[in-house]
Amino acid sequence: MNIVVCVKQVPEVTDAELEINREGTEILKEDLEFDINEWDNYAVEEAVLIKEAHGGKVTVVTLGDEDCEDVLRTALAMGADEAIRIDEQGFEFSDAAGIAQGLYHAVRDVPFDLLLTGAQGSDDGWAQVGLTLAELLGISYASLVVGVEIGEGTITVHRELESNTQEKVEMPLPAALTIQTGINNPRYVSIMGIQKVRRIEIKETGSKELGLSEAEIGSQGSSVASQKLSLPPVGEGAEILTGSLDEICEKTAQIIRDKGGVM
Amino acid sequence: MTPFRTSYWHIEPVWVFYLLAAVAVVVFLFGLFAHVSVWVRGIRRQTLPFSWRGISNLFLDGFLGRRIFKGDIAAGTMHLLILWGFLGLFVGTVLISVDYWVYHFLKGAFYIWYSAGLEILGLMLTAGLIWSLIRRYLQRVPRLERRFEDLAVVVFLLLVVLSGFAVEGLRLAAQRQEWARWSFVGHWLSLLWVHPQGALAAYPYLWWVHAFLSLGLIAFIPYCKLFHILAAPTSIYLENQPPQAIPVETRSPDDEVFSYRDMIFFDACTRCGRCVEVCPSTGAGEPFSPRDFIVWARENLLRKYHPLNYFTWLTRWANHRHTSEQGFDPQKIWHCTTCRACLDVCPVYVATQDAIRQARSKIIEEGIQVPSLLTQTLKNLYKYDNPWEATKKKRAQWSQDLEIPDFSETEEAEGLCYFVGCTTSMDIRAQKLARSFAWILKHVQIPFGTLGKREPCCGDIARRAGEDGLFEKQMEDCVELFDRYRIREVVTSSPHCFNTLQNEYPAFQALKPPEEQANFQVRHYTQLLRELVKVGSLWFENPLHVTVTYHDPCYLGRYNQVFDAPREVITAIPGVTLVEMAHNRANSLCCGGGGDRVWQENLDADVKMAEIRIREAEATGAEILITACPLCLIMLEDARKTTSLEHTLQVMDLNEFVQMALSLEHIPGEQSVRRR
Ligand code: SF4
Ligand code: SF4
Repeated sequence: MNIVVCVKQVPEVTDAELEINREGTEILKEDLEFDINEWDNYAVEEAVLIKEAHGGKVTVVTLGDEDCEDVLRTALAMGADEAIRIDEQGFEFSDAAGIAQGLYHAVRDVPFDLLLTGAQGSDDGWAQVGLTLAELLGISYASLVVGVEIGEGTITVHRELESNTQEKVEMPLPAALTIQTGINNPRYVSIMGIQKVRRIEIKETGSKELGLSEAEIGSQGSSVASQKLSLPPVGEGAEILTGSLDEICEKTAQIIRDKGGVM
Repeated sequence: MTPFRTSYWHIEPVWVFYLLAAVAVVVFLFGLFAHVSVWVRGIRRQTLPFSWRGISNLFLDGFLGRRIFKGDIAAGTMHLLILWGFLGLFVGTVLISVDYWVYHFLKGAFYIWYSAGLEILGLMLTAGLIWSLIRRYLQRVPRLERRFEDLAVVVFLLLVVLSGFAVEGLRLAAQRQEWARWSFVGHWLSLLWVHPQGALAAYPYLWWVHAFLSLGLIAFIPYCKLFHILAAPTSIYLENQPPQAIPVETRSPDDEVFSYRDMIFFDACTRCGRCVEVCPSTGAGEPFSPRDFIVWARENLLRKYHPLNYFTWLTRWANHRHTSEQGFDPQKIWHCTTCRACLDVCPVYVATQDAIRQARSKIIEEGIQVPSLLTQTLKNLYKYDNPWEATKKKRAQWSQDLEIPDFSETEEAEGLCYFVGCTTSMDIRAQKLARSFAWILKHVQIPFGTLGKREPCCGDIARRAGEDGLFEKQMEDCVELFDRYRIREVVTSSPHCFNTLQNEYPAFQALKPPEEQANFQVRHYTQLLRELVKVGSLWFENPLHVTVTYHDPCYLGRYNQVFDAPREVITAIPGVTLVEMAHNRANSLCCGGGGDRVWQENLDADVKMAEIRIREAEATGAEILITACPLCLIMLEDARKTTSLEHTLQVMDLNEFVQMALSLEHIPGEQSVRRR
């Protein structure tokens, strides 16, 4: 069972205080830490688990600048066998369709039975690339996958639906799945682990090598364009309490009392 | 007639004995070979220079059993009886061979002394063995196990000595030599035989029984716990070899995680259980014991590298047999707080905490079974240089209003660099100790600064988890920063940072060319405060009438032998009474925060280690429990709440206590009390 996994490097934003440049076109990245997109991490782990159980080869693909090699190394250390990086030049203003185009051209010649992506990216949160890519490849797909069982020429997947229900679907191979978090327990990647894969060569390619024209990718090929970025305004009714810990507690208690929270 | 020794008296055919002896030696050598083939698989990057210190330890710990006596005089005496009896009889037997084959010297007065000496040795051995049985089965000393092997080994040895005495008795009964009374035990036994003829008839049979048992014993040694006869001296000799640094980069995938020394330590373990007795994890009722870990590691390694693995079916059988047994669960290694109490009491210097670290590094490398909270911690450490998911910016927040120079914003650091550490910088409770320390330094007017938000983690957390690659990266970051700002003098709040900078860095630095090596000195703040008290810059005007007790942090006390410095600072404050807890100094009880336990899912049993410790503090009647480590502070502060001791006992860092004493209002009456 050969598997392709598309991964993405994203900034960590849980605890970061985001700042936007003056023109409102970009989020400032200097103070941010980067890591593999959480959903993609689960996708890589799932691919490696399937490979460990059924044999085959795992190829990871990313689209990004040179620094994104880190996420490929992480995936290799987790157990992937090969890695491809598509240089981001030309893709800077691509929307989900443009990125899917890039990935499509890079993976269509790689023989695979299963294509995995994360259900969404933690930065832009489109949740479209995986499905658009599957359409381009013309293969069956399922989104929000929380369980995979491998059969003979088919797979059965569990999809997460609303209010704690799951859907069980059988699909022919090859197929594309977008993986939901929690499907497995991604393994820890140690520096020793990364050391070990440092000699694996990462295949480099780009929009030119893939024969992609500006009409297909970039701002020209996109139907979605970013107008302006801004931080959400502090909403009505939100109040930031200041002072010592005790004072804050006192004020909080007062507010709860005022609003009738405690009788 | 001159007394002399007769060998093989009435024993026929002698060649059978030699054949048996040869078989015994071959079996023995094969067993030894099996152990050595494990040892050589251990990772080794150091040459072993001859060490006089090793030899003297060998004499003191091996021959005199110094560490066995420690804390258990009965065990020490019992072991010496067995050891000296066994060794003496062994030498005696060797002398017989020399006498028979090389030079006949067992005659005359020397032979008389020799005979009497051997009798005494035999009695010592017998007494020691019987005593050991009494301790194990009648007194039922709690730390001792009662497995089949424990009984079999002693009974075997006992049979060898007793049959030896019996053979001697028969021989003396048959020979009736005039010098026989010097072999007083044998002589006394010989009196039981009235007829020399009967004795002579029985003698050869019993001789063969004794020969068979003795040779069997030799063959048996490498296959039971008696192997410590060889492994323990080796381990004692190796004990003071410097630690080896094995950079991740130089490791190959087939390298064993354990070092050759760990493997020898494992083999030296006699399962005496002293470590179990002192282990705070076992003591708190958690499902972990250092002895179980050692035995598990030893058996696994022996199975993995056994020379008989050449025969695959044997391996399969052994593996099958093993999986059907109830073994030690490797996940349990996360319980160890790396408190080092076990090493302190182990007679053969088994450094369980180091071996645990190596075993963890294996799990980390494989990545699959790393506890999930620890995975998160390590990722945070990599990304944010602290174990919490908090941006680096937050690191300097504790000192925002204190106007402390930030060395990372200067060209060259002037003065002391206060290395605050992750926990002290980020934990709300621990931050107070940093603020107190900064206050004290200002009070005594010592110029100092910090690295502000650029201060990295020293690498301790990664090191304890076995994530050596991350440790090395953080070490390089630290060394590079110290170098860039020409920092020469470092003082830490945490004993963990102190220990890492002081004891873990040097071995790695030594691998670099001299001009690239780190060049700084590190002290723990307690050492600095003591010095300030000594030179007179830190003195206390007003008395503080309070009874306190002091908790020795493992990484300050046992790891670095800093026991007196904090106590001297405490007692320098007039009016303070320092009382000791039941466990103090080298014997201190871990608070449970070390070994990365604070950054993991709950490992506690019903009672927490810190709760056990705080109860000890309570029992002293002290009003304040002082400690000198941010982790101890957090753990004990928590325990104080969970045990509802909030109103009886305060928990303070030494810095906070000193600041409190320095800030006392001058009360005239108090002064006069002191003058009186
Ligand atoms: S490790 Fe040391 S203290 Fe523990 S059982 Fe073995 S010999 Fe005894
Ligand atoms: S280091 Fe401490 S916690 Fe770990 S095994 Fe030894 S005694 Fe137990």
